[in-house]
Amino acid sequence: MESCPSSKVILRMQGITKDYPGVRAVNNVDFDVRRGEVHALVGENGAGKSTLIKILAGVILPDAGRIWLNGQELILRSAQDAFRAGLSFIHQELGLVPSLNGAENIFLGRPYPTKRLGLVDWSALYKQARELIAQLDTEVPLDVPVAQLSPAMRTMISIARALSIQASVVAMDEPTASLTDQEANHLFRVIRSLKQRGVSVIYVSHRLEEIFAISDRVTVMRDGQVVATCPTRDIDAAELIRLMVGRNLSKAYPPRRGMPGKPLLEVRNLNGSYLRGVSFTLHQGEVLGVAGLAGAGRTELLRLLFGADKPSGGSILLEGRPIKVPSPHAAFSMGIALVPEERHSQGLILTQSVAENITLAHLATFAKGGFLLNTKREAAVVRRLVQALHIKAANIRQPVSQLSGGNQQKVVFAKCLAKPPKILLLDEPTRGIDVGTKFEFYRIIRQLAEQGTGILLVSSELSELLGLSDRLLVLHEGRAVAMLKPSEIDQQTLLAYCYGRRPI
Amino acid sequence: MSASAASRDNARPQVKRRALLRTYGTFLGFLLIVAAFAFLRPRAFLNPINLRNVLEQASILAIISFVMTILMATGKMDLSVGSLASLSGVVVATLLLKEMNLLLAIAASLALGMLAGALNGALVSYLGLSDFIITLATMTAFRGLSLWLTDGATIFGLPPAFLTIGQGTVGSIPVPIFIMLGVMILCWLLLDQTTLGRRWYAIGGNEEAAFLSGINVRRLRLSAFVLSGTGAALAGVVLTSRLASAHPLAGEPFMLSSFAAVFLGMTMFKEGQANIPGTFFGVLFMGVLNNGLNILQVNPYIQIVLTGSIIILSVLASRLVRTQR
Repeated sequence: MESCPSSKVILRMQGITKDYPGVRAVNNVDFDVRRGEVHALVGENGAGKSTLIKILAGVILPDAGRIWLNGQELILRSAQDAFRAGLSFIHQELGLVPSLNGAENIFLGRPYPTKRLGLVDWSALYKQARELIAQLDTEVPLDVPVAQLSPAMRTMISIARALSIQASVVAMDEPTASLTDQEANHLFRVIRSLKQRGVSVIYVSHRLEEIFAISDRVTVMRDGQVVATCPTRDIDAAELIRLMVGRNLSKAYPPRRGMPGKPLLEVRNLNGSYLRGVSFTLHQGEVLGVAGLAGAGRTELLRLLFGADKPSGGSILLEGRPIKVPSPHAAFSMGIALVPEERHSQGLILTQSVAENITLAHLATFAKGGFLLNTKREAAVVRRLVQALHIKAANIRQPVSQLSGGNQQKVVFAKCLAKPPKILLLDEPTRGIDVGTKFEFYRIIRQLAEQGTGILLVSSELSELLGLSDRLLVLHEGRAVAMLKPSEIDQQTLLAYCYGRRPI
Repeated sequence: MSASAASRDNARPQVKRRALLRTYGTFLGFLLIVAAFAFLRPRAFLNPINLRNVLEQASILAIISFVMTILMATGKMDLSVGSLASLSGVVVATLLLKEMNLLLAIAASLALGMLAGALNGALVSYLGLSDFIITLATMTAFRGLSLWLTDGATIFGLPPAFLTIGQGTVGSIPVPIFIMLGVMILCWLLLDQTTLGRRWYAIGGNEEAAFLSGINVRRLRLSAFVLSGTGAALAGVVLTSRLASAHPLAGEPFMLSSFAAVFLGMTMFKEGQANIPGTFFGVLFMGVLNNGLNILQVNPYIQIVLTGSIIILSVLASRLVRTQR
């Protein structure tokens, strides 16, 4: 049996592998964390970071691989196992019970301090909780439900919880995503004090400047594999991005042919959901990328245009004529189609077959009098689409639940293409899809644009936005803050715009 | 290593056997009870007249179960069908005693069912209230209406023309069987051969995805409730004619039995989903069981216990089918 090679290594993951149907999310990953270090974990969306963290949290069971903590092998079958081992996880939506207050959350999952007769000793509980919060050099009200606290305060509660169980490793997944700069700086101070106590931190973030500010070592993941682990001071931002992206962008994305044509969709001063006064024009044959952080209003924009939500003001012109889109049904009949963000919960009827899913949005065109189904005509159209999109299914009557993720997403695409749309709205169309299939989607998207379809592409993957878009609309807190040309900017500039900063 | 390999080899036929049981389990169970009754009381049970009676007795349950199948395909249920059937029986009987035209009285009763279904549907699909709570409440309200209209008593003395619906025969085949077949064909066509059926299934499979595919989820769900109310009313009319009387609680047992039939049906054909052929089979299952136990002179109260047990077993079986697919 191997033991830990270095006494400084406190956590070691070896040969970790996790398969999902059609995708190897994590592929034979080795990862270790030293005592008192901040180890950054970076990679594009879908690179496998979150899966690796969830395996460590006991939430996902790996298909292969072993984990050691302090030289002892860990078997993580549930979140409880990870908690007992002294692993702590900080994630903006994870871990806290919104209806309980800060003190109760800090002591969640463990026996509360008690008086005689087993009654909870509330004053001791609050006293201990206050002491833990004080160690973080901050103030958080402990007697209100955490749902009412700011994201920064909730993060502090999570860290206090980690301290209280004397966690040896704390994993933070995008901890600064909803923090202000000031709050983020305070978090960094707290992280440095954790280091001094010998606590190790696994730090997952997309924000490169943070990684250089806080981490001692950095591990880069790509397509489920670790491509590099090195001391942070030995690497620069350009190299880090090259490792994350791992390919020459101009080769990966299909070339643009033809020029965008006449204005197809004009959006003027659109209000509603989170959106405030968004205006832009989408042209025929154009791929208009929509960039922005989570919560910037990207999905909301698509839903408004698709009639899934109602705008509270502004106007929409389709081919020069003002339109109202009261429902998705109306959207489809006007030639506006949506590939929604969540494949399983929004895109597919998992209980039904490939064919039934593909024809669902335009069923009336496959029926006599719009009512009596013509399964022959349906099968013909479905087969054509299955071939055109290379959907791998045993037959068109196979339940769509049995297909791989990439093929399922192709079915969602096929549904939108069953009657060629004028405008295609894509919300994270390649999320959770393996790289090979991603490029198939890129080819399909460019092909549709060449045929004159106007495409609005929402994606969190900056490289995808830069590689595919003819122009880029940037949303920040519900407003359109910039219209950019991908050829004139790089990822960092785009990211800066997403954060609402205008680089000089 | 060799030990684990051996255990894996043992496991394989077991898995196969389980898959077989999943696919044909309900059918096997059905054959088993038929064989048991045929063995225990060959002359009484296998008699063609008895088998015709099984179908005839099952026909009212079948009507309710078929419309319930459609509603359950959309992912909702209606607990009020039983008491609505009673209410429609009471209404048609009352109107006939007031010498209303036969067809008008039946039409009025069916219209009542339609309205009642629309009420359930509007509350559930437009106001987003729980189908369980709402139809439990309307079930109680409909029951109260029947009791109030009849003062708790049974209505007798219905005109003979009305009785042909439930008691007449064409050739040697009872009229209710024709009505059942009519409802079955209609429901099967709607659910299996039309855009409406596709959309109903889509709503039941994933409401959000159905909405984002341009389906008017609320309106179609309302339509399924209207259908279920109308079907329940029709069953009430047939029942009243068959019994030649209207009792304010006569339809109540059909609610649970129809659930049993639909759940049994979900274990076969379109696995894990409500479907008309499956429901027909489920109704037969319930009918044969009832008939056989009657022939064996099993205490009728114990038969109710068995109905409950069958629902549990069939739900378990359909869950097995769904999770292991």
